[in-house]
Amino acid sequence: MTRDEIYEHVQTAVAEALGLDDDEVTPEATLMDELGAESIDLLDILFRLERSVGVKIQASDIGDHVQGGIPDDEFGDENEIITPAGMAQLKTVMPQIDEDELAGKLRADEVMSHFTVDNLVQLVESRVNAAA
Amino acid sequence: MSTPRPDDAAALPAVRVGVDVVEVARVTRLLTEQPGIEQTLFTAGELAYCSGRRRRDEHLSGRFAAKEAVLKAFGTGLGTRMRWTDVEIVNAWGGRPRVDLHGEVAAVADRRGLLDLDVSLSHTSSLAVAHAVAIWRHDHG
Repeated sequence: MTRDEIYEHVQTAVAEALGLDDDEVTPEATLMDELGAESIDLLDILFRLERSVGVKIQASDIGDHVQGGIPDDEFGDENEIITPAGMAQLKTVMPQIDEDELAGKLRADEVMSHFTVDNLVQLVESRVNAAA
Repeated sequence: MSTPRPDDAAALPAVRVGVDVVEVARVTRLLTEQPGIEQTLFTAGELAYCSGRRRRDEHLSGRFAAKEAVLKAFGTGLGTRMRWTDVEIVNAWGGRPRVDLHGEVAAVADRRGLLDLDVSLSHTSSLAVAHAVAIWRHDHG
């Protein structure tokens, strides 16, 4: 399955779960802040993707994917600010993150508000490739 | 009981709350459009209890909100290896809901020192809301 095909599946799943038109679901749109996805919507999106793409992704997998196996206390400092090691990890899975703007400021609980449709496509693609 | 001095504060249990509200219509749409998701979200006992009710989706929505509220009181959301069915809302005698924990959620509760957990839920035809209170051993992570 090509990345474009995966993108189409993700776009359809997000649009149907959130009741949006396909063209409102752009790659750079953030799922929660801009498209307004709540946790029940995320559950819906992931269930739709399981049926259409054939890979099972749980909501917790998104957080794990973003954190990349870095322990909590190394991902965020004592004030819950993302550490340099955490930022380096984020750049690999959320390349749109503006490191200059957010370094030393981004709180751990704000990370998911930056998670975009394209970031979800990358996660699904990695799962599809891993299953191949 | 006397008011604890600040030095004693670290020895007190930690109270954490979680609250969640969900639209019943959203849950209805999810259950209608995603055949099979019921078994992912709810235990056989929860489904049996709600299926016998006239306003089934309201009751299921209340249970969904309660699961979210409990996981918020854990501070984790649905973490790795956790399943929605690990948090089961059971109706004790008199109708008062009780939370039974299973699987990974029960293991996390044990590891982190959960002392007590209570939940309350309510629903109308449009909204379901739940509030959970967790009491943790003072040194939980």
